[in-house]
Amino acid sequence: MTNQPALSLDGVRVAFRDGLDERAVLDDLSLDVAGGELLVVSGRSGAGKSTLLAVAGLLRRADHGDVRIDGTSTAALNERRRSVVRRDHIAFVYQSANLFPSLTAVEQLELVGHIRNEPSGEVRHRARALLEDLDLADRADQLPAQMSGGERQRVGIARALMASPTVLIADEPTASLDPERAKVVAELLASAAHDRDIATLVVAHDSAALQHADRHLRLDSGRLHHVED
Amino acid sequence: MFLALRDLKRGARRFLLLGVVIALVAILSTVLSGLATGLVTDGISGLRALPFERLAFGEGAEATFSRSSLRPPALDAYAALPGVKATPLGASFANAAPVDGGPNLDVALFGVSADSFLVQRADARAALSGTPGLILTSELEDEGVKVGDRYTLGAADLTLPVLGFTYAGTYGHAPIAFTSLETWQQIQYGNGADGRFSAIALSGTDRGLDRAAKATHTDVLTKDEAYAGSPGYTAETTTMTMIRAFLLIISALVIGAFFTVLTVQRTRQIGLLKAMGASNGYVLRDGIGQMAILVSIATISGVLIGGLLVFALSRTPAPVELNLPAVALVTVSLIVAGILGSLTAFRRVTQVEPAIALGVES
Repeated sequence: MTNQPALSLDGVRVAFRDGLDERAVLDDLSLDVAGGELLVVSGRSGAGKSTLLAVAGLLRRADHGDVRIDGTSTAALNERRRSVVRRDHIAFVYQSANLFPSLTAVEQLELVGHIRNEPSGEVRHRARALLEDLDLADRADQLPAQMSGGERQRVGIARALMASPTVLIADEPTASLDPERAKVVAELLASAAHDRDIATLVVAHDSAALQHADRHLRLDSGRLHHVED
Repeated sequence: MFLALRDLKRGARRFLLLGVVIALVAILSTVLSGLATGLVTDGISGLRALPFERLAFGEGAEATFSRSSLRPPALDAYAALPGVKATPLGASFANAAPVDGGPNLDVALFGVSADSFLVQRADARAALSGTPGLILTSELEDEGVKVGDRYTLGAADLTLPVLGFTYAGTYGHAPIAFTSLETWQQIQYGNGADGRFSAIALSGTDRGLDRAAKATHTDVLTKDEAYAGSPGYTAETTTMTMIRAFLLIISALVIGAFFTVLTVQRTRQIGLLKAMGASNGYVLRDGIGQMAILVSIATISGVLIGGLLVFALSRTPAPVELNLPAVALVTVSLIVAGILGSLTAFRRVTQVEPAIALGVES
């Protein structure tokens, strides 16, 4: 773990209109996640966890405040520059894997290199090596429809790691898996964070994810609260 | 087009309906193009076959033979120009009623001087300079007309024998019947012809033609310009052009509508691509490239099938003709229309928010 926060949220506020009222789901929220740290955020349904991930992953703008990736402020960046920061520094793991139905496992990973305009030969080699690391070599040429839920999720994690991200954002990555598969995926995320020095922000409720957390925070009333596990 | 190509390959069934619709439009466009070319060619084949380069019509006749009536002094003015060959041409439509049986004919009657450059075959020259009679386009021989059959020409009540057949084509879709200029004048004006004819066929240099045209109050038109006077020519070309234009618009709209539906269906995927850092340009290139490939394959398939249909129809009496530049134009136009159609979803693609990937509405 390094001291420099790879991901920083500083005074972030996001509010939604609720009839005539305005409801702040993130209220002057600040957060640092260091490289190699696995931070788990939990909270009740509708507390704003997904909004927190969207803001932290530069998928949406905060009404106020700043998000810094590797020390670089993103508040003043236009959409094009934000998409470049996302491409080069941030990766996502979703609850339902979100794989492209027409791409095989290896192609899901190759797409990352294609978006980054990297040489296809080198990308293919790296993608296969990564699948092998994650014990998915025998699934490399299969389509998502031919894989189990756990395998799809692991391919989703491999796709995220393919980007060699500074920050990894995971939205309930184990929620739709049975306990055994959830445990495998949670371990995978934890080892990815620790071994590859990735600042990992995970929204999760289940024990599989929580037991690997370096820190556990609870989002409530737009603010984060430390939780002792 | 990493994703687009694999989507097309592995989700071909999703694109089958659109591909079939585009291919059908391409087939229809190609057959229409063949029909348009065939109709136009059929309508002017008689003029096209004659060895002249320009025609001089009476002022304001707009290439229409029935509006043009010239006299010998006009011919003399052109004939006097060095390097210019000029010969009178009489042209009108007439009904030829059989005297001894045979088909009733509606013909385009062309009166030419036997010694003019328009008559190139020696036997035709001999026939036209001898007993008055008709030299008919060879297609009429297939309809049962024989040499020696006699026909009474229109109101003139003049009976003429068939002297022979030649490739003469049609004018305004009526088979051409050649006769001598004198006989044509007799049929057209009776005994009061006073040397009149319809137009002057010109060959050779164009030097001095403007001066002669001014002096004789005539308009000189190129052969291509003279086609416009063929009955039905302008109406046919305009109608066919309009049908083809509408087909292109329909094609563009169908593709645009399909692409829009496809974009709506793929909103989450587009959001996912953007979450991975893909720019709007990357996503658009992928989507429009996919449509371009699909439209190209479907159009080329349709044009090939349409071409085969036109080829098969050209073996029948139907007026169709396969014209490669016209077919190439159909192909390119349909592909361009398809790509333009897919651009209608441009705004929708650019407005998809990457937060959709997390199921978050911005």
